[in-house]
Amino acid sequence: MTPVITTPYVTNYLTEHFADDGYRTLKGYEAKGGYQAIRKALRMEPDDVAAAVKESGLRGRGGAGFSCGLKWSFMPKETDQMKVLIANADESEPGSFKDRIILERGPHVMLEGILIAAWATGSSRAYIYVRGEYAHPADCAERAIEELYRAGYLGRNCFGKKGFDVDIYVHRGAGAYICGEETGLLESLEGKKGQPRKKPPFPAQYGAFGLPSTVNNIETFAHVPFIIDRGVDWFRGIGTEKSTGTTIFGVSGHVERPGLFELPLGTPLREILGHAGGVRHGRALKGVIPGGVSMPILPASDLDVPMADEFLAERGTHLGTGGMVVMDETTCMVRVACVVSYFFRDESCGQCTQCREGTGWMNRICQRIEEGRGVPADLEVLGDLPGMLEGQTICAFADAAAWPIGGLLRHFRDDFEAHIRERKCPFPESFEL
Amino acid sequence: MTPETRKKIETLFERYPRKRGALLPAIYLTQAEKGYVDREAAQDLAELFEIPPVAVWEVLSFYNMFYTEPQGRHHVYVCTNLSCSLRGARTMLKSLEAHLGVKAGQTTSDGRVTLGHEECLGSCGTAPMLRVNSDYHENLDTDEAKRIVDSLE
Amino acid sequence: MPKITVDGTEYEVPEGKMMLQALDDLGLLLTEIDIPHYCWHPKLSIDGSCRMCQVEVEGTPKLQIACNTPVRDGMVIRTNTEQVRTAQRGVMELLLINHPLDCPICDQAGECKLQDFAVRYGLEHARTRDPRRPAKKGTPLGPTIMLDQERCILCRRCVRFCREIPKTGEIGVFARGDHSLLEVFSGMELDNPYSMNVADICPVGALTTRDFRFKIRVWFLEDRETVCNQCANGCNLYASVAYNKVYRYLPRRNDGVNETWICDYGRMSYRTIRENRLDEPRLGRSTATYSAAIRRAGEGLRQARDSGGRIVGVGSAFAANEDLFVLRQLLDGLSAGPGLLVVPTGKADELLIKEEKAPNAAGARLLGFEESSGPVGPAAVALVLGHALPAEAFEGVETLILIDTHRSPLVERADVVLPARYFAEKVGTFVNHARRIQRFLPVVEPVFECEPEGQVLQRIAVAAGLDGFSGTYDPFEISKRLAEEATAFAGAELGTLDDQGQEIP
Repeated sequence: MTPVITTPYVTNYLTEHFADDGYRTLKGYEAKGGYQAIRKALRMEPDDVAAAVKESGLRGRGGAGFSCGLKWSFMPKETDQMKVLIANADESEPGSFKDRIILERGPHVMLEGILIAAWATGSSRAYIYVRGEYAHPADCAERAIEELYRAGYLGRNCFGKKGFDVDIYVHRGAGAYICGEETGLLESLEGKKGQPRKKPPFPAQYGAFGLPSTVNNIETFAHVPFIIDRGVDWFRGIGTEKSTGTTIFGVSGHVERPGLFELPLGTPLREILGHAGGVRHGRALKGVIPGGVSMPILPASDLDVPMADEFLAERGTHLGTGGMVVMDETTCMVRVACVVSYFFRDESCGQCTQCREGTGWMNRICQRIEEGRGVPADLEVLGDLPGMLEGQTICAFADAAAWPIGGLLRHFRDDFEAHIRERKCPFPESFEL
Repeated sequence: MTPETRKKIETLFERYPRKRGALLPAIYLTQAEKGYVDREAAQDLAELFEIPPVAVWEVLSFYNMFYTEPQGRHHVYVCTNLSCSLRGARTMLKSLEAHLGVKAGQTTSDGRVTLGHEECLGSCGTAPMLRVNSDYHENLDTDEAKRIVDSLE
Repeated sequence: MPKITVDGTEYEVPEGKMMLQALDDLGLLLTEIDIPHYCWHPKLSIDGSCRMCQVEVEGTPKLQIACNTPVRDGMVIRTNTEQVRTAQRGVMELLLINHPLDCPICDQAGECKLQDFAVRYGLEHARTRDPRRPAKKGTPLGPTIMLDQERCILCRRCVRFCREIPKTGEIGVFARGDHSLLEVFSGMELDNPYSMNVADICPVGALTTRDFRFKIRVWFLEDRETVCNQCANGCNLYASVAYNKVYRYLPRRNDGVNETWICDYGRMSYRTIRENRLDEPRLGRSTATYSAAIRRAGEGLRQARDSGGRIVGVGSAFAANEDLFVLRQLLDGLSAGPGLLVVPTGKADELLIKEEKAPNAAGARLLGFEESSGPVGPAAVALVLGHALPAEAFEGVETLILIDTHRSPLVERADVVLPARYFAEKVGTFVNHARRIQRFLPVVEPVFECEPEGQVLQRIAVAAGLDGFSGTYDPFEISKRLAEEATAFAGAELGTLDDQGQEIP
């Protein structure tokens, strides 16, 4: 299948050539200056490369927004063990569809980033963990890797650098959202159920197969060649002080022109919605989920927020993956809660008590309220549940399940109360459940 | 498990520091034989990976894309997560259910199609969509979805 | 050693341990310090999933699970703040929303951590209006264990046990989220020599032993300290007793012997307390009174000694050191030479099960009994404890005096038969394969007339007219003597031994 989206509607440095079919090949990528950054990095000391990435302020693009350079610095320097990098392409956060485009349209920029990271951290093995449903994107990545092996860029003495040995493999998931969580991913990579690990130990000490490991989102890797090539100052000049560079925002839901938009971090929400053609059919906006359904919803009144984590955090939400879901005035927020809570119920790995039991309970209550069978006591329990889940489990999945319900109740409690009062859904125009 | 599958699996071992790493790809290879992994195939995998059969079954039961029951010749999945639902995915799913005469999760009586709904498949910008086996069909409406399903052998 | 402060009290804890383990090692957990937990078990790997053991650690905003938080010097921990109590209430409420609450028909009731912690840490009322998740009721997981899937709280102790201890790995958790179910692989059973331990470690009523199921309510039971007598390991046990009857054995923790486990064979051996007991004295083919049998035994020995006939003593690896000591004294008094010893053997494993299928072979050897596999005859009299030897071994023996706890073919061969108290009915010591001397205490009273071997032997000695025998048996006195006399037992005295036993040189 030819992917329907071949390039973001708005491009910047990262996706500039994504529309060009040739860019997917080694030859085409090199024609646009590809694999020069790794050569430049190999002339630098690994520590200097890591320092540059740290100074650039690059934050992880997978959802948590952790400093990429800092994460790399956790990798042990003195060790006899093989060090492992994992590129996380398990993209499963509802509303997010940017990693897919990188795999399909720019696999080499991701691979170059992985190679630079391998040099900086002393890693000799990398796995690209691609969600199982992304069969074609995974094929694209595998083809690009084969090209690199054929060109002698992978394997032993990569790019002619003596002792710089790197092997990269694609590992396909099999349908489990939780494998996007970094330690769930590690378990899955080891051939187990994708149940996140308790910490300590942390992946940098005891990661994939017990080896020192670092997991980064593939978009995070894809920014790295540009930082090395164009410099830290250039990168810091894009975005906000605390959130540097661009990101590939996704906009979906009730907009005229859903799609991807590579824009500097900190671009106001209103502007991004404008790029997406605004709310469809000329309707009014009801709310926007800013970065994948885990992130608490923003009401229409928050349209001027700059899309960077430090500003979103002030409004009780986060940037997440930058995958925005737009809902117009017809939308029943209880139905939204039903969809979202069903998802988290379905995807909970089932280890921790609160998450396993709480996600199901939230979903049952939402469903009951939507069907007009809710009572005020249900709303009380539903209001308590996010607090019972948040911050109390092995991984952040329970937080991700709790936040959207908390956000919907915070901003759209009226919708829930109206269902209970009227004993039916009062939004006849809303999307079908 | 056929000897060919076994051989293919064994070549994967070297990709991982411990051979158990190859279990997911090995399950895919085993599943390709008849569309699902039954008890005997799970035992073969357990033997090959030197783990208890229950550990193989745990993995099979954890992931959505592994099947332990016979499946239709084609998997047709509708993404029903939020971005798709907002753009009519559930309306589309219901019409496919009526069209095929099965509920999501069931297989047509001729064994042609197993219909299902799935959580977000990363097509939020091209919603609604169908995943047919490993192919994505995007920017659909109900009629187009039916046409795609009808075209399946 | 790092110092930590828990709820205002300072403790010195072992370095490099997780908080729960460190407190448990000091014996503080759930005695002085209240940190409830489900998935953590001192002898299994850490799971960290039940989230019941969350505590406040000063300087850390989020609650931390005590099972997986390493102790640091200067750490300040609080276990009973509002934040902790709220979290515990939350876990309890969520564990219970899908629990069937079938306590009236659940065998675990009374020793159920879900009940106990619900009372202590839970809400007073359920807030759920939903039907509870249905799952399998009462299905056998194998020959020994029943699974009530609905009651399972997915702590995975049993899963880890099977993977880590017997390394058989029969149990798993299938599916995910709140569809997760504890299961075995279809067509395979939970069937290993240690399978029943899963019932002990299951904090709820999900896994129960098929043997104990529906036998009695646990609150009628009293757990009494004992040790297992089925092999040379001497696993520490509790015998659960009601109405003078042992209903089950449970493992009793002893890190120097059996940690917290026992084998199924040993566990089921509680039945030997009642089953197949030798319950009447006999003279040849006919029943006799106890004193008549003693008299006859004494006469036999005296005649043999007076006529210079050969007297052979056979000790038993099932007998207590104190009993064996009396036998040795008696044999010495008759100048009969050292007693013989026959130790039954069988299969061993690397975990607990030892080759020697008796609890006190080591003790018997230390007391000078010499291993032999027979034949015993020819002899005028054989004075025999137990039935480790077959009847054929006694060919050429004119008078066979048998003191035993259980019926055997030897009873038919014997001329004098005296029933003895079983270890569960008396006090004494065994020495296990690793030279750990362990006490056992009476857990029940015998239901027919019988005496400890030592007492029987004392009375026989008096009847035989031997000097230096009082006719009374005091195992404490003997043990004291043994501790003073025999170097191997030095310092290991029944009266001062504790419930963990003691290694002897």
